[in-house]
Amino acid sequence: MAAEIVSFMLNGRETVVVTNPLETLQSVLRDRLGYMATKSGCSQGGCGSCTVLVNGEPMVSCLLPAKDIEGQEVTTLEGLTKSGAGEIHPIQQAFYDNFAMQCGYCTPGMIMVSKALIDRAQRAGTHPTHDEIAEAISGNVCRCTGYQSIFEAISDASHRISGHEWSGGRDIGGKTK
Amino acid sequence: MTAENKQAELNVVGHSVPRRDGLGHVKGATVYYEDRQFNDMLYLKMVRSPVAHGRLKGIDFSEAEKVRGFVTALTHKDVPNNIYTILRLIGVGPDDEPVLAEDRVRWKGEAIAAILAETVEAAQRAASLVKLDIEEVEAVFDVEEALKPGAPIIADTGVNYFIYENEMDHRQVRLGDVEKAFQEADYIVESRFQSSPIEHAPTETTGCIVVPEADGRYTVYTNTQALFFSLDNAGITLDLPFEKMHFVGGTSGGGFGGKVDVIVEPIAILAAMKTGRPVKFKYSRPEEMTISSPRGAWRLYYKDGVMKDGRIIARKVTTYADSGAYNRHTPYAVTKHAANAAGPYNIPNVAIDAYCVYTNKAPSSAMRGFAVTMSTWAIEQQMDKIAEVVGLDPWAIRFINAYKDGDMKPHHKVVEDATLIEVMQAAAEMAGVDLPQEYKEMSSMQEVSHG
Amino acid sequence: MTVRTYYTPESMQEALELKARHGFDLHVIAGGTLLMPQINDGLFFPELVMGLRNAGMDKLTLNDAGLSGRGILGATSTMSQMRAQTTYPILQEAAKGIGGWAVQNMATIGGNLFNQPPYGDFAVALLALGAQVKIQSASSERVVDLNEFLTGGRQMAANELVTEIHIPEQVAAGFITQTITGFKKFGPRAASAATIVSVAAQIDLAEDVIENSRIALGGADTTARRSPAAEAVLNNASTQDLESLAAAAARAAADSSEPISNATASAWYRRQMIEVQLKHLLGEMLESAVPAA
Repeated sequence: MAAEIVSFMLNGRETVVVTNPLETLQSVLRDRLGYMATKSGCSQGGCGSCTVLVNGEPMVSCLLPAKDIEGQEVTTLEGLTKSGAGEIHPIQQAFYDNFAMQCGYCTPGMIMVSKALIDRAQRAGTHPTHDEIAEAISGNVCRCTGYQSIFEAISDASHRISGHEWSGGRDIGGKTK
Repeated sequence: MTAENKQAELNVVGHSVPRRDGLGHVKGATVYYEDRQFNDMLYLKMVRSPVAHGRLKGIDFSEAEKVRGFVTALTHKDVPNNIYTILRLIGVGPDDEPVLAEDRVRWKGEAIAAILAETVEAAQRAASLVKLDIEEVEAVFDVEEALKPGAPIIADTGVNYFIYENEMDHRQVRLGDVEKAFQEADYIVESRFQSSPIEHAPTETTGCIVVPEADGRYTVYTNTQALFFSLDNAGITLDLPFEKMHFVGGTSGGGFGGKVDVIVEPIAILAAMKTGRPVKFKYSRPEEMTISSPRGAWRLYYKDGVMKDGRIIARKVTTYADSGAYNRHTPYAVTKHAANAAGPYNIPNVAIDAYCVYTNKAPSSAMRGFAVTMSTWAIEQQMDKIAEVVGLDPWAIRFINAYKDGDMKPHHKVVEDATLIEVMQAAAEMAGVDLPQEYKEMSSMQEVSHG
Repeated sequence: MTVRTYYTPESMQEALELKARHGFDLHVIAGGTLLMPQINDGLFFPELVMGLRNAGMDKLTLNDAGLSGRGILGATSTMSQMRAQTTYPILQEAAKGIGGWAVQNMATIGGNLFNQPPYGDFAVALLALGAQVKIQSASSERVVDLNEFLTGGRQMAANELVTEIHIPEQVAAGFITQTITGFKKFGPRAASAATIVSVAAQIDLAEDVIENSRIALGGADTTARRSPAAEAVLNNASTQDLESLAAAAARAAADSSEPISNATASAWYRRQMIEVQLKHLLGEMLESAVPAA
């Protein structure tokens, strides 16, 4: 059996692991490295609870052989929480303040996709529109909230990041400047 | 005390309170059962029936045992009391479902043998190599077909329905005389409703990890919705004193009633007892979607006698709950259902016949509003239909028939603290519906006459 | 772990050499969306696997002349890349309906050809463009019409890999005034859904007469394929009464289909939806293209 050595950047830190052949990034994160935020809801790529960012782009880690991301940058939910002061990212704060979760199981994947979405929208100088949010999170299944609070959390987060007032509720979309 | 004064004294009601587990969720720090690591952990994979109904004649593990990483296999012979105790623990009985099948399989997906292996792949591989000798027999999938003479019999009691109090084949509720009232009614309105089984589909699948501790106890990390229920059931099934188990849970990635069946813990604990190692039993996504219990499907027949002025004077209800191959909680549900099957309406003549029926399908169980959701769904469609037949507004039909304090419910209990009228009034206001004055002025409290 | 070796070649040449060496024993993944779920659920236990994500087979060569130019799409280019390109709007539309954002970043156009029907929407869009598949081995190459490839059972030799998808130059005769394309996917929900049916079309118009058409169906058969029956109705037809033309073509497509039943939909329902969705698609396409009289 040809074990593999995979080195990559995890949440900004150089990381090296020994893996089985074809072992997934999900397995490496959870079983090898003990980073449990990335969840395991289906192993088929259909629920999105295992979503991480690879070079800033969402990928489902349950279908991603770890060897494929050799040398790449991986970000998990743990990477959004700043250590030390325990400060959390505005997106995390917005999810918390807007009750954008109940059981919490979809939350890590949801927040990672939200981060990629907001980053992309901010680069274009806009807040994500309703349709953009809907499309972006369409691969993340939430069985609890009914999604409305998640739309609001993402809009709230985008406004906070660009230093704007968010007037709440249906205030979704618009320009960041 | 005025409402305002009361509000000012309250610290939680009327205030927005952050979730206690909110920070854990957004940081990804909330610990679900699977978010723990244990050395030397074994993985449990269940071998399941490929057919809906059959005689289980033998199991051949010879090929499975050759898989590198295979550790052991458990069959019904290994289970001290091979029966789930769901009904016994809620004061109903008798129980009927084996932890592992003995000589019969009654639904496609029924658990037959547990494979324990060093890795998930080895467990999956070994499970796929187990050979089953099953003689397939005729199956029945429809509730009314299951009750016909000549239908394949599923339960060991010899009938395809739950027997209540050792003598009754269904739950009955009687008030007044429906047949006589039907003669007097201006309209007869009949409907047949069929709901589908609904899968809860929680984002986190059912599962547990059992860890043997140095002091001889077993710690069970589980996402069950019912920790004590699960513990009690495991204790009785395994002949294990309750104090030997420590159940840790309360964190579930979605349950909705789908994690109340206490199915996975007993076999996982048994495996830990036999091997002396931590054991993880996690439903795969296909297992969660196909073999975990769904909300039970219900077939409901409603026949109402209605007067021209909209009053329902008779309601005859016949329902069949599809329990699937085993009871789980359904017999209890049908009792609760029977009491509620006429709805929150004041009807002087009611007959309810509610059956708990077995079919060769996945055993069904609880889901939000267990036992009452489906009858409510049927009743409210029936009320709309009545409104159409009689030529009245759907709001009017409900106000005319709404129950009030002091009314007699079909199961001979007097109505107390009714609020249907007030809730409808509030709903109408929120929906921008301007109700006629007489409905705005209605109250759930009966007029009290002063002598 | 049953997988003994996972190869990650860094060039097409290396990939082809590995395939030549191991033949059918070497299982190929690119996005991983087809094989990994099977492995994860214990339905398949391969020993040798090759991943093409980093083999540099995802390049796009798109002619500036747009639809009339020839396009070469690397087999491991992703659905996200298809959404980002603008040369073929029909491919953007098809890619949009495949999984969510993360899956689109991973699923490849080559891999999608090997999906079990009725999935594999991307092939439906490619068929409408008259696409071809380039199949190579270490010592040979061939280009096959996509419709032939799919209806012929996706025959491949043990040493072959799909390396490119070609969109042929749309040789426009001088009298073609307009070329329109369209794609519709119908599933149980609006996004990230399984396929009930998918339909695609490319229509060349000479004023208000249909000079040429390609109609492709997904979910109408055991594979995505063209619909000669629908094309026969459309070719050389006038678009004066476009509603009945769309209806007739859609009916012909439905009548000649033999859909499968699965958990998502029954064969009966698929046949109904082939007609409904194709009628809608053709109606919308023609209405926007043909100026009102």
